[in-house]
Amino acid sequence: MSKHSAINRFGRSSNPAFSRNFDQGGFRTQSSSEMDAGSGFRTTSSVVESADIMTLDGAVNKTGVLLALCFTGAAVGWNIPALALPAGILGFILALVTIFRSPSKAGTTAPFYALAQGVMLGGISLMYENLYDGIAIQAIGLTFGILASLLVCYKSGLIKPTENFRLMVGAGIGGIFILYMVSFVMSFFGSGISLLSPTNGSLMSIGLSLGIVCFASLSLVLDFDYIEEGAEKGLPKYMEWYGAFSLMVTLIWLYLEILRLLAKINSRR
Amino acid sequence: MSNTLIFGGMAIVSLFVFMNLGKIKASKNQTGRKNRIHRFKETNQKNIIDSSSKEVTKNEE
Repeated sequence: MSKHSAINRFGRSSNPAFSRNFDQGGFRTQSSSEMDAGSGFRTTSSVVESADIMTLDGAVNKTGVLLALCFTGAAVGWNIPALALPAGILGFILALVTIFRSPSKAGTTAPFYALAQGVMLGGISLMYENLYDGIAIQAIGLTFGILASLLVCYKSGLIKPTENFRLMVGAGIGGIFILYMVSFVMSFFGSGISLLSPTNGSLMSIGLSLGIVCFASLSLVLDFDYIEEGAEKGLPKYMEWYGAFSLMVTLIWLYLEILRLLAKINSRR
Repeated sequence: MSNTLIFGGMAIVSLFVFMNLGKIKASKNQTGRKNRIHRFKETNQKNIIDSSSKEVTKNEE
């Protein structure tokens, strides 16, 4: 009997896109049955099609595709900022669908997610750009700079994600999520947490933004580790899209937080 | 203008690094350590996952 019919469980991660258990029904195997002429025994074996296995190459290329779509969307959002809000809501719904409903369909939902979030980012970037000239390109440069430098640190083994590392990042992100939720609920009553305001240039507010940027950056390391491990363990092909999607979720979060941080720093001038 | 050049260049170089370095397997220092996060059960380290054999009698043929 097969002991490895499929992977039974995907692990936990601080990235919301990675924090769910999945059914591994998409793990495709090819069964063969053939007669061994010499021994008179029939042998059956399940061979995984190597073309259907997640690879680093595939995950990185798909991240590139999603980034290109995001930039295309951003160009639209920059020119038509009125689309930012509906696109943001659509992107949020698509993210929830990808994470909770059909991770195996990430190849279909992730490109639309990237496009929609791109439109939203374009609109938000224009809003910040109107406040502080040149802030958007600074945020883009810093976001990709952090991405590349952390990738170098991860690949070389300078940063080693462990269970404790994951717990620490997970706890931090949980705290930030609660802060966002409290601020969101307070906004219904015409109030809010002033520390989160992009126009609040106090040291406390800047420190908080810096902390959030740190946690968003560290969760990139967990994404790299997840993709690396997924490729090592031979996850199904669709996980390339899912890994790329998860990286996009973190990158978009990081970009928005860097924008907010830069706006706070600029407001002190 | 210099702001755009510096940060735009930084973004392009970083993307180039990501697209190339991302495809390379992490160092042994990273992948070989014992305190790695184990998210998945062991699967297909080799291509053949499992196999079984049974004797075929003439009736079955």
